[in-house]
Amino acid sequence: MRPRTRELPRARRLPTAAGVTRTLCLVSVLAAVGLLPWLSGKDPALTVLRARSAEQEPTREALDAIRRDLGLDAGPLSLLGSWADDLLHGDLGTSWVSGTDVLPSVVAGLQVSLALMGAAFGVAVLLACALVAPVLVRARASAGAWAAMLAAVPEFLLATVALLVCGVWLGWLPTSGWQGPEYLVLPALALGIPAGGLLGRLVADALPAVLDERWVELWRGAGVSRTRVSAAALRRVLPPLVPQFGMVAVGLTGGAVAVETVFAVPGIGRTALGAAKSQDLPLLQGAVLALLLLGLLTGAAAAFTRRRLLGPALRDASLNLPPARPVRTHPAIPLTLFTALAVAIGGGLLRDPYAVHTADRLAASSWSHPLGTDALGRDVLARLGHGAAPTVGTAAVVCLLSLLLALALGFLPGVAAGAADIANALPPVIVGILVAAAAGPGTGGAALAVALISWPPLAAHAAALVQEVRASAFLTAQRAIGASPLWILTRHVLPSVAAPVARHALLRLPGIALALASLGFLGLGAQPPAPEWGLLLDESRAYVERAPWAALAPAVALALLAGLAVSGAAYAQGRKAVKETPVEA
Amino acid sequence: MSAPLLDARNLVVRYGTVTAVDHVSFSLAPGETLALNGPSGCGKSSTALTVLQLRRPDAGEVHFEGRELTTLSERELRPLRPRMQPVFQDPYGSLSPRHRIRDAVAEPLKVQGRWTATDGPARVAELLDRVGLDPSYGNRRPHELSGGECQRAGIARALASDPRLLVLDEPVSALDPSIRAGVLNLLADLQDELGLGYLFICHDRAVVRHFADRVVEMRDGRVSRP
Repeated sequence: MRPRTRELPRARRLPTAAGVTRTLCLVSVLAAVGLLPWLSGKDPALTVLRARSAEQEPTREALDAIRRDLGLDAGPLSLLGSWADDLLHGDLGTSWVSGTDVLPSVVAGLQVSLALMGAAFGVAVLLACALVAPVLVRARASAGAWAAMLAAVPEFLLATVALLVCGVWLGWLPTSGWQGPEYLVLPALALGIPAGGLLGRLVADALPAVLDERWVELWRGAGVSRTRVSAAALRRVLPPLVPQFGMVAVGLTGGAVAVETVFAVPGIGRTALGAAKSQDLPLLQGAVLALLLLGLLTGAAAAFTRRRLLGPALRDASLNLPPARPVRTHPAIPLTLFTALAVAIGGGLLRDPYAVHTADRLAASSWSHPLGTDALGRDVLARLGHGAAPTVGTAAVVCLLSLLLALALGFLPGVAAGAADIANALPPVIVGILVAAAAGPGTGGAALAVALISWPPLAAHAAALVQEVRASAFLTAQRAIGASPLWILTRHVLPSVAAPVARHALLRLPGIALALASLGFLGLGAQPPAPEWGLLLDESRAYVERAPWAALAPAVALALLAGLAVSGAAYAQGRKAVKETPVEA
Repeated sequence: MSAPLLDARNLVVRYGTVTAVDHVSFSLAPGETLALNGPSGCGKSSTALTVLQLRRPDAGEVHFEGRELTTLSERELRPLRPRMQPVFQDPYGSLSPRHRIRDAVAEPLKVQGRWTATDGPARVAELLDRVGLDPSYGNRRPHELSGGECQRAGIARALASDPRLLVLDEPVSALDPSIRAGVLNLLADLQDELGLGYLFICHDRAVVRHFADRVVEMRDGRVSRP
């Protein structure tokens, strides 16, 4: 009774702090997009000159003329001002490379992408229904493990495997282009399956706890049919999950970049990536803006749906879901996955990843090359092993930085919540494209991009814990003995917050590694000849018919990482959570 | 009558539009037990928090050992805080679940700069012994203790600050009836021995009659019978 009333004024103040941060984050993202020509370290004038005419010498006069033409000499603020002004008049500018208007290209790309995302969303919903149905029918036992596995597979990996199996080996479906409905199937599957896994997992994880609630027993006792109980349970589960569904839809915009690239679909994602690589900044600005708008609209739609579903009950805290039960896996599974990865990496580290054997190009596996060789005759096992450091090592650094930032900012709950909202609306790929456009592609840029969006969820978690600890009676007792705020912070608040947030960060490590790999795969991260896993997968795609093992090795390594992310999750949630879960035969 | 240890004058506490404590006044002499008695929700606990200055009153004054506390800043208040210690209702919630009992009892000594490597551990053992806990309990954590043992540890921690006043916020309400008497007897012995003043907050009239020197009845935020 007492703590609740005391929290009232704080709760009333919070949304404004979060709102301010949200607006600030959004404005700074928009400003970053608008300032791209100025942020970009490379001279855009050179890009434009080269695109306009191959013969013209890059003389000082010619470059100055172009700078004046583009308004680059006026400084960042006026550049931003004129960009925003044009934007408000519906003018997205002219492409530096093709010289055509940006708006039609963006609209054309958006149409293709929306069709693809719509189809993918259909796949996702169907898959989610298939995953949830057994939970409802048996009223127990979660399909969560399978769903979680599917959800953890990154789109670029699934796209590559689908291309390899269905397109190339079986020859069932076309693998590149956009000429008819049959071209939609593979991209929609690659994009929809991870999303469906995530949707299914969210619902399947939440359902068993809801079906254990007392009203279910009561309804069953009163002879209510199983169908009606199931419908009511779904109705109970869905509203709190709707914001997460919005995040799934946002994830589709990020996944679309990779999938469109793999299947050569002329969508908005591929347009953005191409523009980033060719330094065509106006086109990039337009495409990124369209992707951001798509993400924000889905988020708003999700919030609106939730309000409609809940109505006046929205403020009732009792409508929160009971805590989901963690996915149960035998401890041997993460251990096996970890051992397999460690053995492959250890074996690879003993070999030279850069040694070129011209005689053994695209060789199959043999004693001298256990996983075969790539197009330059380099040992695949060696590249896999040495690739672990740039992939997993960078992810560990990103993780640690995010953790430190989260702990520092967790004491400002409004800031953490607001930043988390915006970060959730930004897929890593889009941030990666922006950073790569500004700083050029590289491991540092990719790490920065992933770090930018991986700290806010951790900070939000830390903020929630800080509030919980601050409300507890033993902190009041601390003040009563005359302890200073610093003593309370360092001896009591920080120790109770740091451990769970660190576990959460560790849990996100494989996901961060996969995000880095997807940037590497798209050419936005590590550059050749570095043996980064995403890059390995990308390089081997061209020879996939002749040397499938070169593509399969990094694909399997990434899949193992994804599996580790899921099966390790239950253990990362703390001993208590595992102990309370009855072991099922 | 000697100068009062605690003198609360016209205390007012508001939560939003609700007035939880409405012009409550009382005073307490050294070594005396004053009970604040009343049904739940009548403002007893808010009064206790205000006396301890863990929540600042919206109006009124708190005089403790002759000093007015409500006008002091948090920093000025800090050296005075050890003189008045709370004992809360929930024995488990008032001790950090992460710390051993020994560390919880030693913490006031450390915070107040009275800890030395030679005397500190001996003082902790003495305090645990004084509240009837075997010093070996120092190694345990709160969840490894029973409610009554935990409340005794809480009292030991409060005594570590060498207080003159204990604010006992329903100290036995959460305990099993069979062990209430033990804790109450301990409190009575400590009062005789150390001359402590007790502000005893309770809703059980039988306990109040047995334990308190004087009773202030509260109802709907007001003193109903002085």
